[in-house]
Amino acid sequence: MRASLPLSLYVHVPWCEKKCPYCDFNSHAQKNPPPENAYIEALMADLDQELPAVRGRRLRSIFIGGGTPSLLSPKSVESIIAGIRARIPATTDMEITLEANPGSSDAGKFEGLRAAGVNRLSIGIQSFNAASLRNIGRIHDDRAARHAVTAAIRAGFDNFNLDLMYALPGQSREMAADDVEQALSFDPPHLSCYQLTIEPNTVFAVRTPRLPGEDAAWQMQRQLESSLEKNGYTNYEVSAFARQGRSCQHNLNYWLFGDYIGIGAGAHSKMTRDDQVLRTWKRKNPILYMQNAHSAERVGGEKRLSSDEICFEFMLNALRLQRPVTASLFQQRTGQPIKRFSSTIAQAQTDGLLQFDGIQISTTEFGRRFLNDLLQRFLPDPDNLISPSPST
Amino acid sequence: MELQHIRNFAIIAHIDHGKSTLADRFIQLCGGLSDREMDEQVLDSMDLERERGITIKAQSVRLDYEARNGEVYRLNLIDTPGHVDFSYEVSRSLTACDGALLVVDASQGVEAQTLAVCYAAVDLGLEVIPVLNKIDLPAADPERVAEEIEEVIGIDCTAAVNVSAKTGEGVVEVLESIVNNLPAPSGDSEKPLKALIMDSWFDNYLGTISLIRVFDGNLVSKQKISMMSTGRSYTAEQIGVFTPKRLTVGELECGEVGYVICGVKDVSGAKVGDTLTSTRNPTAHPLEGFKEIKPRVFAGLYPIIAAEFEAFRGALEKLSLNDSSLHYEPETSAALGFGFRCGFLGMLHMEIVQERLEREYGLELISTAPTVVYEVVTTDGQVITIDNPAKMPDPARILETREPIIEARILVPQNFIGAVMTLCIQKRGSRKAVQYLGRQAMMIFELPLNEVVLDFFDKLKSATKGYASLDYEFIGFRSSDMVKLDVLINGDRVDPLAILVHRDQSQYRARELVKKMRQIIPRQMFDVAIQAAIGARIVARESVKALRKNVTAKCYGGDITRKRKLLEKQKEGKKRMKQIGSVEIPQEAFLAVLKVGE
Repeated sequence: MRASLPLSLYVHVPWCEKKCPYCDFNSHAQKNPPPENAYIEALMADLDQELPAVRGRRLRSIFIGGGTPSLLSPKSVESIIAGIRARIPATTDMEITLEANPGSSDAGKFEGLRAAGVNRLSIGIQSFNAASLRNIGRIHDDRAARHAVTAAIRAGFDNFNLDLMYALPGQSREMAADDVEQALSFDPPHLSCYQLTIEPNTVFAVRTPRLPGEDAAWQMQRQLESSLEKNGYTNYEVSAFARQGRSCQHNLNYWLFGDYIGIGAGAHSKMTRDDQVLRTWKRKNPILYMQNAHSAERVGGEKRLSSDEICFEFMLNALRLQRPVTASLFQQRTGQPIKRFSSTIAQAQTDGLLQFDGIQISTTEFGRRFLNDLLQRFLPDPDNLISPSPST
Repeated sequence: MELQHIRNFAIIAHIDHGKSTLADRFIQLCGGLSDREMDEQVLDSMDLERERGITIKAQSVRLDYEARNGEVYRLNLIDTPGHVDFSYEVSRSLTACDGALLVVDASQGVEAQTLAVCYAAVDLGLEVIPVLNKIDLPAADPERVAEEIEEVIGIDCTAAVNVSAKTGEGVVEVLESIVNNLPAPSGDSEKPLKALIMDSWFDNYLGTISLIRVFDGNLVSKQKISMMSTGRSYTAEQIGVFTPKRLTVGELECGEVGYVICGVKDVSGAKVGDTLTSTRNPTAHPLEGFKEIKPRVFAGLYPIIAAEFEAFRGALEKLSLNDSSLHYEPETSAALGFGFRCGFLGMLHMEIVQERLEREYGLELISTAPTVVYEVVTTDGQVITIDNPAKMPDPARILETREPIIEARILVPQNFIGAVMTLCIQKRGSRKAVQYLGRQAMMIFELPLNEVVLDFFDKLKSATKGYASLDYEFIGFRSSDMVKLDVLINGDRVDPLAILVHRDQSQYRARELVKKMRQIIPRQMFDVAIQAAIGARIVARESVKALRKNVTAKCYGGDITRKRKLLEKQKEGKKRMKQIGSVEIPQEAFLAVLKVGE
C-alpha cells in the first residue's frame, strides 16, 4: 500500500546573479557562469544513488527550483530532464516546472526551455512596481517583469505561475492592489502571493527596512484574496491561487504528504518505506556537493521521523490546503489513525479553527488566518518528557 | 582558648557600604584562606547573594589574629543579613555577639536600616565601634559622617576607625580596635553546657547543621546533648568552625561560636533560638530564645507545567529546611490548578524564594499577586485570617475587615521631607513624628502594610533621589474598609488575579490594573476583554484587540525543518504563558498589580 505513495522530484540549482536581501534559501551569488556541466553530472550521480529506493514507481512531477534555474542554458535543462526521464519512468502528463527570474531570462531562452521539455514556468515577478522592486533589492525592474511574462506566453507556456510579494517596504495598499491588477492583466493560470517576512541570516534581518504595519498587511492580503476570487481563482493553498485544473501538482504532492526525491545542493527528500519516514538533505555548499556527489558524502544529514513527528508533519502540510483531506488519507500516509489527535481536533473545532465530520478534515477560513497557532497544537509535546529533577 | 582572648562580633552595615569586602580583608589578614582560594566576597556563598550583593543567611567565620601586643586572639565574625525583610535574622545574630562594628560608607552617610540594627545592638548591650569605610573615594567625608553618626545614632565617634576595605588601608586598626575595645565574652566553663542555636540549615551530605554560640560550659565531640524545647537527646557527631572553610574541631569552648552536627533528621528538630545542653548534666535555665516570626506577605505559587507539582513540593520541602521563615501549604486555583500558598517575610524574600526555586530546582513558576494577611470579623463573631483574596467571605457575612499596620521609620535629608510626606499620605499613612537629626530627618509614619510591601520602597527611593532609607515593624491590625477587586478575562473570574484594596482606592486601582493588563496580555486570535469588578459591579474595562492573522512564510521545496522550528519557537514562547479559558496570559500579568504606577 505504501509503495503506491505518489513520487515527485525536486532539483535544486543553487546559484543566483545576486542574492536578494530577504532571501534565506540556499542560493549563492555567482558572477561568472556557473559550472553547468559539472553540476549536471553531479545531479545525475546523485540521482543514480537514489534509484534503488524508488524502483518501480512513476514520477508525477519535476520541479527545478533555486536559486535561479533560468540561469542555466536550455541545453543544460534539456539534459537534466532527459537524464531524469532515462532513469525513472514518468506518468504521461508529468508536470515539469522551472523557476525563472525576469532578470535572467529572455524570450529566446523561454522557447528553448519549452523545447527542452519544461511545461510549466514559475516566474519570480514579486512586483510590477519599480520602487517596490528596488526596495527589496531585486535586479530586475518593472519593464523586465512585464517582459518576462509576455515572453513566457509568446514562447507557448499555457501553464505558468507568477510569484507576487506584498507588504513590501514603502508599499501602499494602492501599490499592492496595482501589482495584483497588473498580474491579472496577463491572465496567469496560477499565482503565488506571499507576505514579505524577515528571516534570520539575511541582509534584511540585520538592516531591517520599515515595513507596512500589521493592519496594512492584513488589508493587502484581504484585497488580493478578494480580487483573485472575483477573477475566478481558487485559493487552494494558503498562498497559492489557481484557475480550474491549474493547481501546482508538484506542490500538491508536498501538501498531501507524498514522497519526493531532492537532488542538488541542499535539496530535501522525503521517503516512506515500511511505515517509516526518512527525511534526507544534501550538502548545502555547491562545491562540496559536487565534490561528493558520487558517494554517500553528498548527504548533509538525515532524520527518521518518530510516529508523533510523522503525524504532526502530515497536519503541517495538509492543513495548508483549502480542500478537505480525509481521515483515511491520514491513515494511509502516516500509518496512524487520526483518532490520536481527537482531543486536539475537538479543541480546534471548538475554537473555530478546524472542521471535522469524522470523515473529512479541513481548515476553516479563521484557521487559515491563524495557521501557525493551529499547527502548533499538533507539535509533538516536549512536556511529555520527564520533568527535570531538582538539582542539589 | 581563654575567654579573654575571644571576641564575638557582628558587622552592621547597609547594602553596598562594604561589609563583605571588609570581611574578606579580615579573612585574608588572618590567613583563613590562601590568596588563591580567596574568591571575592566569600561570605555571600549563595549565587543569589553574590549577584544581588546581599546576605540572606547568617554565617560565621573564625579568625585567629595575632595582635600587636604579641598575643593571639580568636575573633568570631558573625555575619548578618542587611535587608529589612530579614531584620529578625539580624537580631538573632546579634544575640550571639558581645560587640559590633558599625560600618558606614564615608561618602554616603547613615541609612535607616543601619540605624535600626544599630539600636537593636545597643539594646542588647553590645559595644559598637564606628568604622568609616571607603575613605579612598574622592567623595568621602569621614568627618561629616562621623558627626552624623554622633547626631543621628548618638554613638561616640572619637574612636572611629577610618578604612578603605578596598585598598586595605586601616584594616589592621579595625582588628586592633576589636581586640582593645570590644569586651570578651562572659560565661563559665565550669557550669553545665548552655549553647544557643543561632541558625540551622540542611546540607544534603551532612544533614542538619546548627550554628551555635556556647554561653556556658564546653561542647566536646561525641558528647550527649539535648534540645531543651523538645527534650530530645542526640550525640554531637561532629563539631567545628568555619574559617571560612569548614574545619572539624574536637571541642567548642565557653564563649566560642561554631557548628554542630548531631543527626537531627530535619531542621525543625534543631529550632533556631533553642538552647542546647548536656544530657548528663543539663543546665537549669534555657537561654531566652527568639520571637517566632510570622510571614507577612502571601502569594500562590503554581508550576506552569502541571506535571511538575510533585517536584515543586519536593523543592519547597528542601528549601524550607534552610529557610524556617518560608511557610507553605497546598492550595488549588480554578485558573492555575494545583500549587502552594506561600508565606514570606516581604517582597524581597518572595523574589528570592521564587528565583531559587526556578534556578536551583529547574521549575517554572507562576506567582499570583502577593497579598498581606487580613483579619475579618464575621457576622457570627468569628475572626478569620485571610491570606488569599479568593478566600474573602461574602460581603454580607463581613462585620469588619482589619488590615495590618506598620510603623515605618524613614531617614531622609531634610529637603525631601515634603516628597516623603506626599508619598506617605498617598499611601494612606498617618504621620507620627518627625525628628530632626543634623541634616537628616527621621520621619515616623503609620502605614498599612499592604501599601508598603508592593512598591513603596522603590517609590520612596525615586521620590528622594535614592537618599531615603526605610525600616519598619509590624504594630497591629486596624479596622479598614477593604474591598475585593476581581479581574475577569473574557467574562471569567480569574481567582489568582483578585486583590484586596481600600475602598477609597478601588476605582483608581481597578482602572490602572486593567490598563496594565492590557499592555501585558499579547494580542490573540480573538478580542480579549479585561474587566475589574467589585462584587457584581464592573468598575473598569479594557480590551486587547484580536490579532489580524499569522504570517505564513514561504515554504521552500520540501524543506519542512525551518517551518517546524518556527512553530516550535512560537510554541515555546507560549509555554511561559498560562491558559485561562481560551486566553493565554503571560506570567507578568499575575504581577501586574505590583506595577500599577501612581
